[in-house]
Amino acid sequence: MVAKQAEARNSSMSSLIQITVNGLSESVSPSATLADLIELFQEMDHDLIVEHNGRFVFPQDYAATRVAPSDRVEFIHPNFGG
Amino acid sequence: MLTEDETRRYSRQIALPEIGVEGQHRLAAGRVLMVGLGGLGSIVAYYLTAAGVGYLKLIDRDKVTLENLNRQILHTTADLGRFKTESASEKLGRLNPHCRIEAVHAAIVDENVEDLLDDCTVIVDATDNRATRLVLNKVSVRRHVPFVYGGISGWEGMTSTFIPGSTACFSCLFPSPAETADEPSPPVLGPTAGLIASIQCLEILRLLVGAPPQLAGRLLRFSGSITAFHMLQINRNPHCRVCGGQTG
Repeated sequence: MVAKQAEARNSSMSSLIQITVNGLSESVSPSATLADLIELFQEMDHDLIVEHNGRFVFPQDYAATRVAPSDRVEFIHPNFGG
Repeated sequence: MLTEDETRRYSRQIALPEIGVEGQHRLAAGRVLMVGLGGLGSIVAYYLTAAGVGYLKLIDRDKVTLENLNRQILHTTADLGRFKTESASEKLGRLNPHCRIEAVHAAIVDENVEDLLDDCTVIVDATDNRATRLVLNKVSVRRHVPFVYGGISGWEGMTSTFIPGSTACFSCLFPSPAETADEPSPPVLGPTAGLIASIQCLEILRLLVGAPPQLAGRLLRFSGSITAFHMLQINRNPHCRVCGGQTG
């Protein structure tokens, strides 16, 4: 996991891309997938909602969805209180 | 037929073109299953009763405790130690004698949910845990009854309306099969509960009068820490283990 995180964030300084994660600018590998980002940012809630460029992403698609420069990713935690 | 008293009581909402006399009759014929009489349930129950929904079946298993009273405005200090169902029936009966309130002191589980749903046409989630929501979602899908979800945590809240056969279901949004034990109680704030519950009420009233629900297939999130709303389209998940992502 550590190796994947390092790859997602630092594959090589020159090839990093800028994306926005939960409103903050982040540098990540151009090969990073949403699954990688979930590990990288330690968003392990099994009820996590992932929004990618304004679209809801199904969990089965996390591993195949790569981010591109300027993408916006939101990790949304469920509200289950009442 | 509405009595003269009812016509006056509801006149300010009958004046809305989306409701009118016909809509008020539909509300009077409405049968709603409401699960949970806490922060969300207090508001939903009050507004549905005030609006003249004809029959409310209220389910809750808890007694009123002191730490409920920062937000659960259906209950008062004098109700401490009483069953919430009992406290709620009393207040709602006083609010509007034209509504039939049936309060059931029970926990909702797979084994009793079919009987409790009976012929209700809307399911309202005012619970405080994921496990009960999973039970409600399954019966919603199985019986094709719309399910209005609401949840809060601290300054944040979210709500959505699931229409079986037409939109995503609760398990499309939260697909994990994990049956978690009761989560630790999150911090909660009265106005956040009030706001999310009020939006749930708007959806329920729309469903009952036959107006299109605005949160069908959409998740509305509210952040009270920055006072902002955010809408997200939720599509049916073809891998959903409950609805299978199927249409109609």
